[in-house]
Amino acid sequence: MPDPIKKVVIVGGGTAGWMAAAALSKFLPRHRTSITLIESEAIGTVGVGEATIPQIATFNQMLGIDEREFLSRVKGTYKLGIEFRDWGHLGERYFHPFGVYGWDIQGTDFHHFWKRADSLEVHPDLAAYSLNTAAAYAGKFAKHDGNPRSPLSRLAHAYHFDASAYAAYLRELAEKAGVRRVEATVREVKQDGETGFIRSLMIDGGDTVDGDLFIDCTGFYGLLIEQALKSGYADWSDLLPMNRAVAIPCERVEEPKPYTIATAREAGWTWRIPLQHRTGNGHVYASSYTDDDEATETLLQTLDGEPLAEPRFLRFTTGIRKKFWSKNVVAIGLSAGFLEPLESTSIHMIQSGIAKLLALFPDARFSSAEREEYNRILTTSFTHIRDFIVLHYIATKRDDTEFWRDRASLDIPDTLRRKMELMQSSGRFFRYDDELFSVTSWLAVMQGQGRGPQDYNPTADRLSEDNLLRSLTDMRMVIDRTVAGMPQHSEAF
Amino acid sequence: MGHSPTDKKRDDCPRDIQKIVVLGGGTAGWMAAAALSYILDAKRVSITLIESEEIGTVGVGEATIPPILLFNQMLGIDENEFLRETKGTIKLGIEFRDWLRKGHSYIHPFGDFGRDIETIPMHHYWLRQAALGEPVGELFDYSLMVQASRKGRFLRPSAADPNSVFAGIHYAYQFDAGHYTRFLRQYAERLGAVRVEGKVAKVSQHTETGYVEALTLEDGRVIDGEFFIDCSGFRGLLIEQTLKAGYVDWSKDLPCDRAVAVPCTKNGEPIPYTRATADDAGWRWRIPLQHRTGNGHVYCSSFMDDQSALDHLLAGLDGDVMAEPNPLRFQTGHRAKFWDKNVIALGLAQGFLEPLESTSIHLIQQGIARLFAHFPDKTFSPVARDAYNARTLWEYERIRDFLVLHYTQTERTDTEFWRYCQTIEVSDELKQKLEMFRQTGRIHRQNQELFTESSWLAVMHGQGVHATGWSPLVERFSLEDMKVRLERMRDVIDRASDAMPTHAEFLASVNAAR
Repeated sequence: MPDPIKKVVIVGGGTAGWMAAAALSKFLPRHRTSITLIESEAIGTVGVGEATIPQIATFNQMLGIDEREFLSRVKGTYKLGIEFRDWGHLGERYFHPFGVYGWDIQGTDFHHFWKRADSLEVHPDLAAYSLNTAAAYAGKFAKHDGNPRSPLSRLAHAYHFDASAYAAYLRELAEKAGVRRVEATVREVKQDGETGFIRSLMIDGGDTVDGDLFIDCTGFYGLLIEQALKSGYADWSDLLPMNRAVAIPCERVEEPKPYTIATAREAGWTWRIPLQHRTGNGHVYASSYTDDDEATETLLQTLDGEPLAEPRFLRFTTGIRKKFWSKNVVAIGLSAGFLEPLESTSIHMIQSGIAKLLALFPDARFSSAEREEYNRILTTSFTHIRDFIVLHYIATKRDDTEFWRDRASLDIPDTLRRKMELMQSSGRFFRYDDELFSVTSWLAVMQGQGRGPQDYNPTADRLSEDNLLRSLTDMRMVIDRTVAGMPQHSEAF
Repeated sequence: MGHSPTDKKRDDCPRDIQKIVVLGGGTAGWMAAAALSYILDAKRVSITLIESEEIGTVGVGEATIPPILLFNQMLGIDENEFLRETKGTIKLGIEFRDWLRKGHSYIHPFGDFGRDIETIPMHHYWLRQAALGEPVGELFDYSLMVQASRKGRFLRPSAADPNSVFAGIHYAYQFDAGHYTRFLRQYAERLGAVRVEGKVAKVSQHTETGYVEALTLEDGRVIDGEFFIDCSGFRGLLIEQTLKAGYVDWSKDLPCDRAVAVPCTKNGEPIPYTRATADDAGWRWRIPLQHRTGNGHVYCSSFMDDQSALDHLLAGLDGDVMAEPNPLRFQTGHRAKFWDKNVIALGLAQGFLEPLESTSIHLIQQGIARLFAHFPDKTFSPVARDAYNARTLWEYERIRDFLVLHYTQTERTDTEFWRYCQTIEVSDELKQKLEMFRQTGRIHRQNQELFTESSWLAVMHGQGVHATGWSPLVERFSLEDMKVRLERMRDVIDRASDAMPTHAEFLASVNAAR
């Protein structure tokens, strides 16, 4: 007979903590399970990424959040993709869109037809077949009307937003749903002498908060998962040596663009994230190739508005916790691991951790099967995303700095090498273990960084040349017409 | 590499494969030839199939699983015509008799059990109600396909309204594989595939690379090719006899190694499901077609001799024998490489898993689909080949686990064979799945494995694997509330299955729709 969890304790109230609190309070039986979140205003939070990917909409929908209200609360804008500058080659740029390129013809992916046309001296521009890219560069956005046959249904979007405003908004929802917030610092962690399970936390003033399940959202420090349970950390900095970031918001100088910009720099890259009221900027870099002053200087030089705050510095080690879930502690957010926000995956990994926890929610017997499955799934997800990020650094001709020259000799994982070879030889891509990034993403980055497919799948030969060219023309017309009919992005929020 | 701007047309590209040779004209050979001739342009690629009428074919399974619909749809085959030509019937699942214990029966249906409630699979609610002694009915009552099977009913699903209960109809076919093969042969020949009648006397390989270059027939004709599809059955004339790809033996996991098949006259209207009855040293199948019933007995020769196996089969028939018994020997397992050099093996040349869950034709179909996704050119990139082999192996392993589940999770210990089954060591993946279900009622489908959560649920539950837990998230709803909701769900499914036409009426409409 099941023995239900009666007390959930979340430690840490950043984005991860409040996302977890909001979701758990929505799904756990309120009459049986209490949820307590402990946070201290004395401890700052790291606003992990302000750019997201389309899956965030599912999370919000699950919580019953209205998009308009959400956008106004978090000063959000729409995001259609990321523009990458100077990655494959200095001076070049490409767009990694959400959504898809063109549409399949008789079960064969569009890009094989595009590649075939390319070999016929037509050289169509791949980007022109992405509705997201066309809309992004036209500065437009429209919500689709629910008609699955409308071309607008192919426009996929995420958001840029103020992460602390999002956390505050979720806090309201969570508290309304019965989450108890305790303002305090944890002084001591009490474990069961035999099992090592965490039993209670002693907080300021000597009070104790006891629980059955603990969610560690204490950030890099990992108060429970690492300091108490010593889960260990798998260091990935050999593959991704970036270990610092500096962030500065600046004044808005134009209507917000519906996309993020990520520009490769001498020893890292900078981000530019447009919000309704300001622009977020940051520089992610490797301290072994540059120093804080130089990095800050680079960032300041590239701002397109007046700085609105002092630079904020952040240190990290890329990698993951060896166990995300150990005993009765589940780590979510930075306590689980860190991957640089090049593809805006930080909030997604929080969401993913929460979704998997809900799908595998334990009872007080804490079956090892659930824990193992959770750890297996999360390890796989992180690893696939890591590979995709590494791809950006190695599919490049850049050799203008030591940092970039060293990328060329990187010993990359076999899984990544195989994926690259398959895509580069003939545009093939196979998604494993429900990995996050799809063929669109791999194609966009590889084509954009000069490692696009050299050939196509012969099944694309079925179409006659006339039909092929006509299909391509039709698609472009549909995309152009659709974008022409869309309102400006700034009218959408 | 690649197409430089001076390439006017792909026709000029010397890397493209222009000659494909399919060896063997059974189900696998003609499925491959039909699909290749559909996908590839006959003006650019020649497809030759070599078969000999002297060599018999093994009609691999006559029961299928739902993805077969996609294969037929891809080829643009009209379903009515297909059912008429192959004497086909509808299959909604498999009834497993005597598997858990003698006298016990359950149906492994296609499709889902009920509907998720607030993102949580319905069976978690069912598990809770049942554990707390609430009247909740049998889990199988929540499957539309089980209800329709029991009532002998069928309706084509409605695509128009995804919210309709009828959108949850999932089905496959039971058909005469020999008729299907002929049907596909006509299809392939119409699209330009060339059939050559003859037996291969000699295989020529490139002296350095070992790639197969040509096949010499007994009458001296030489058929050369760039890419060979070996559908020559168990012996694997190219993949094994020539390339020595090797075979991985799984008879420790699945010890059955023989089968005997016999058709009999039909007894009443065909039922819309297959039956698999556990026997003393294996199991017997019963597949109802429009015109007759297919029967067979899969058994383990270490525990039963051929005569007893035949006797058991004949004793279980419900019609008159229509042909001589057809015996078959096999070794469960798979080719160590499914694709080696320029030879890809399909069908029995690729491997053998007993047809307990009707996967034989599906494995052919998957092999073809995966071949298209990894279609080679003359450089035969090892990257694509390795990916193909790795993915195929994964698929075989997960199907194997699913089959092993049937043999190991049972109360039967009444014969030496069943006692032996208790000693079979299961894979870590299967162990983890069983453990997870027992402890938490959860099922996780891994990496797009073939069988869905619902299939695992049906067979684990049917084989008596007892879940002691359920998702704690169901506690949000009171027992009373859930009692009402589940009752309503059962009622909808019950009424929906009543509203379907009978299987016989459906078949009559198919035959009238000429």
